[in-house]
Amino acid sequence: MSTTVLGTRTGTRRIPSRRVSRLTDLAARWGFVTPAAILLIATLAYPIGYTLYISFAAINLGTFSPDEWVGWDNYLTVFEDDRFWDSLWVTFVYLVFALPLQMFLGFLSAFLINADWKGRGVVRAAFIIPMVIAPVIAGGIWRMLLDPLWGIANYLLGIVGLGPIEWLADPFWAMFTIILIDTWRWTPFITLIASAALLSLPRDVFEAAAIDGANWWTTLWRVAMPLLVPVIAATFVVRWLGAVKMFDIALAATHGGPGRATSVVNLFIYEEAFRSLKFAESAAMSLIVLVITMVLTAIFLRGTRMLEERN
Amino acid sequence: MTQATRISTGTSRRRLLGTALALPAVMLGRTAQGQAGGGLGTAESPISIRMLANSSYSNLWQSAMVPEFNKHFPHIKVQIDGVPYNEQLAKTMLDLTGAKPTYDFYTVDDPWVPQVAQTGHLLDLKKDAAAWTAADFDWNDFNSAPLAASEWKGGQFGVPVRSNMLLMFYNRTHFSKAGLPAPTPKLTWTEFRAQMPKLVQNLGGSGPANAWAISTYFTRDTLTPTIWQAILNAHGGELVDGNGKPIFANDVGQLALQTHIDLLQWAPPGAKAHGFTESLQAFRQGQTAVMFQWGSVFRGTAVDTGSTTLKTEEVGIQVMPVGSARAGTHRGIWNGCVSAKTPNQRAAWAFWQWLSSRQGEAFASDVVGSFPARKSTLASNPASAWLKPVFTTLQEAYEVAAAGRMWRPRSAKSDQAQQILADETARAFSGDVKVAEALDSASRKIARLRL
Repeated sequence: MSTTVLGTRTGTRRIPSRRVSRLTDLAARWGFVTPAAILLIATLAYPIGYTLYISFAAINLGTFSPDEWVGWDNYLTVFEDDRFWDSLWVTFVYLVFALPLQMFLGFLSAFLINADWKGRGVVRAAFIIPMVIAPVIAGGIWRMLLDPLWGIANYLLGIVGLGPIEWLADPFWAMFTIILIDTWRWTPFITLIASAALLSLPRDVFEAAAIDGANWWTTLWRVAMPLLVPVIAATFVVRWLGAVKMFDIALAATHGGPGRATSVVNLFIYEEAFRSLKFAESAAMSLIVLVITMVLTAIFLRGTRMLEERN
Repeated sequence: MTQATRISTGTSRRRLLGTALALPAVMLGRTAQGQAGGGLGTAESPISIRMLANSSYSNLWQSAMVPEFNKHFPHIKVQIDGVPYNEQLAKTMLDLTGAKPTYDFYTVDDPWVPQVAQTGHLLDLKKDAAAWTAADFDWNDFNSAPLAASEWKGGQFGVPVRSNMLLMFYNRTHFSKAGLPAPTPKLTWTEFRAQMPKLVQNLGGSGPANAWAISTYFTRDTLTPTIWQAILNAHGGELVDGNGKPIFANDVGQLALQTHIDLLQWAPPGAKAHGFTESLQAFRQGQTAVMFQWGSVFRGTAVDTGSTTLKTEEVGIQVMPVGSARAGTHRGIWNGCVSAKTPNQRAAWAFWQWLSSRQGEAFASDVVGSFPARKSTLASNPASAWLKPVFTTLQEAYEVAAAGRMWRPRSAKSDQAQQILADETARAFSGDVKVAEALDSASRKIARLRL
């Protein structure tokens, strides 16, 4: 019976016109895209749109909603606030030191764990641990480790005649600590990406380099690095986007102090929004940071493309 | 159903009375359900109410306080949800101003009351809940300072349910080892400053220091300025005048902030990063002679062996040292507030009435370690001996606070001002700016808020 039906269907089927085919194709594409688009609009476009809206409004704390259009007032207030500029500077310092350090250590670790040595599987697995610990817990644990009274860090330094260091109470060391914790957390992420990239590199190129008598440095610098440039650039952009929004570690470890030494911009925005309930000004600050981030990201992406084209 | 009929001393009598009270409550609940404010529930139709409270005590309240409350009001089911302090105000505001609030009642911290009351969604307990207030619920029995914490523009939007005052804790062993007399409430800042170098000592007798004079808040935190505010008030200064204008950027303000900063000289290494937890830990582990801290930590510091190394007799408590005007303290009262939007106003108010009654306060002090605000409770003989000095100190602290107006600005923007003070004074602590500059900057920024 089924054969008959099939035969009948086959017999009566018409070749669809190009127009119908195109429409079907379009519908299928939109069918796949629509759920994701709706999700994105709900979770991204709407909040950004609302943030933009309240950044030009005054929030009535009685109704907890925007009730007056104030134009650029919130932005002017933010631009006049020295604490905002301080927090941008602190974020800049943190990024300038943390990102290159994490990139360097991440790729270095990847080279090391990709070499053939016993126990590298265990090390590779252990690398994931910092990434799965909640940042607030990580900050708290590091706070205990670095405590001058009962922390192990100063105890160990004391054994070799160093310290004590006021890790969290001195502005320099507090920033050092934030960079240290962030590097401990995120270097494994870079290592994992770099490790996968290294494994995907074509073996024949390395074999050719070996036949040509290249030593390990030449192989690394002249062969591996050029091949890895796109991965390094992409990793940098991904990590940059993650690092620029960091605030949880600063919140847990130093509360942004001492003074304003570790008050990164997102911590400052968080405090202004959720402690002072200055949602309108915080929205303005968030959008300023968003614009800065987008501009810098565009520059990085352009640079990445240029590097890829050069190679 | 009156509070007086619920007065009881023995458990069996309390149970008996509870049962007796449940009867009219049930009857009233039956008749009142459907009326404004709801009822108190019945066996067939119990009422469920939900509270948003601070996570530092919500679990304890749920496990210890609610069962006790249910002995008197068996048909009111209470669920308490805890939320961390830093998120509580925002969550309370969002819930209260929402179309359908999740919560029926809230605990609201001292400085938040104006902001939360300004929404217009809190019940004025003296007015709106008067009909459901027991005849013997004596508002005048509360000390004026804690009761004023929930007053706003002539309304009484809460009742003190967990009183907290900034106090001086001291370790008698440290003072005796340093050859110093144990402090008294008459201790002045001048005398205390002279004692502090001696309190940095090795408790074993020789060797490097393993004990320091002081632990308290120094880190960048909104509670850190409460210490210098207490010193400021002790010297007769105030944060703002009657019009909300800052008046602290002067000699008294500088003296107070400098005194707070100077404490670091005799504090443990790394104290500049110390806040609530670290200072508490240092004192409980016997590493500091004195701690300026909230009174509510007394039980965990001097009584509960699971959380402290100190013995009860070792720990003293009193108001902070005396300045040129009076002793020092700072008010921090948790207030029980009822949502004006809930249909269960009466049941929610029943909970707060019970907790803030003399019986509720006595139970909470003894079992939970939450401290009372009523003069009669503080004058009574507490069930546990360790509470006696606490009660004496609290009564004194309330009087000092009332005399010196020792609380944060009564404004809907109080937290904004406190955040500015935290930011600016933190810069003085880290040495980024001088004390005068930090206070001037804070004063300018707070003036712009128009409190």
